Amino acid sequence: VVPPTAALVERMLAAGPWRAADVLLHEPVRDRSVTAWHLAINAVMAGCRPEYFPVVGAALAAIGDPEFKLHGPATSTGGAALMVIVNGPVREAIGLRHGVNLFGPGARANATIGRALRLVLLNCLECHPGVLDQSTQGWAGKYSLCFAEHEAASPWEPLHVSRGVAAGRSAVTVFAAESGHNVLVHAAREPERLLRSFADAMAALGSLSPGRSVIVFAPEHARYLALAGWSRARTQAWLYEHASRRLSDLKRAGKVEAQFLENAETRRWLYGESGGSEAVGADAHERVLPGDDAIFVHRGLGPDDILLSVGGGDAGGHSAFFPSWSRGRSVPFVTKEVPA
Amino acid sequence: MIRILDPTLRATPPRPAVGARRPARLGGATLGLLANGKTHGMAFLDRVAEHLATRHGVAEILRVTKPNASATVSPDDAAMLAKRCAVVVTAIGD
Repeated sequence: VVPPTAALVERMLAAGPWRAADVLLHEPVRDRSVTAWHLAINAVMAGCRPEYFPVVGAALAAIGDPEFKLHGPATSTGGAALMVIVNGPVREAIGLRHGVNLFGPGARANATIGRALRLVLLNCLECHPGVLDQSTQGWAGKYSLCFAEHEAASPWEPLHVSRGVAAGRSAVTVFAAESGHNVLVHAAREPERLLRSFADAMAALGSLSPGRSVIVFAPEHARYLALAGWSRARTQAWLYEHASRRLSDLKRAGKVEAQFLENAETRRWLYGESGGSEAVGADAHERVLPGDDAIFVHRGLGPDDILLSVGGGDAGGHSAFFPSWSRGRSVPFVTKEVPA
Repeated sequence: MIRILDPTLRATPPRPAVGARRPARLGGATLGLLANGKTHGMAFLDRVAEHLATRHGVAEILRVTKPNASATVSPDDAAMLAKRCAVVVTAIGD
């Protein structure tokens, strides 16, 4: 880490619009408030350049949104990483990578913005591994998982614009993510054939849940969707429809827990509008019942649970699917504008 | 001289809280159960309540399950539990 000297911290703070005492994040479960001052100290330690600070502050405010319920992804056995997707002109201004190796090493902004958030969790919220952070395994994205959207390669409006931010402004979108799955497709150009591999990865029993999904299409895959004229909404709807498994598969794999059948929302996830009235008896979650082969359980609760973005190098049919952390609904996507 | 700053919040400890009064006995008392919302939270608390009812004669039991394990209890539920219960037991079930 970089020693946070007073001079470096003052420079960091001065690069953003916040005063030292401004609270950027309040964590209600433990009643902890993180100010711009403490964020600046940790951003220096992480190796951020001062010009990154508005993005770091917006990202901290986003994970501090009450809807994000930070205590869960910060502490759960699920081991979530804090994903930060950046849109708008700030990407170029600070050299945030959206192209080749965008999830990997080689770009200082990508490596240090996420690292600053993690240091805040460690230093200010005491999310130390084995103490408050009880991640069973965790994953490498917990060091830093920050990248820009490759807006020029996207068939659609930039992600932040789709989420209500004005075009030409910059924004961050955050998500609590399980480790990513490479979706490898090299010989499919028609959207239905291409997307089948994505839907299959999304429906894998290991991570199937009513939770949300992030797909980052490689430019090559994005191009095929653009050539076929598939909209964002049509792509989301197709993925939701096809990212599904038979209820009998879930039962055979022990993915349906007894208490799921006592919770109305989870019953709807499993059974749809019938609400599972056909599932009777204390062991209904274990026994494969007549009709279970005909019930398809989808990932998420609807097409809007699938966030689509674009990133990566121009060569290669390698996209990524990131499941939400946890077996439940966990947390939503949150978007915040980066102050100019 | 170079001054290195403290990145932690050690200097600003959480606000102190005052504990609720402890009743001398539970006989005839109203017991609150606050489950975290995970899979087996209330199942675990129900067993606790069974023991408290059998051994201590707890009268009424109020159950609240948080809609999300990562969220704090809602102010309305917290106020209701504080107003109506002599004792509240909370637990994590997974």
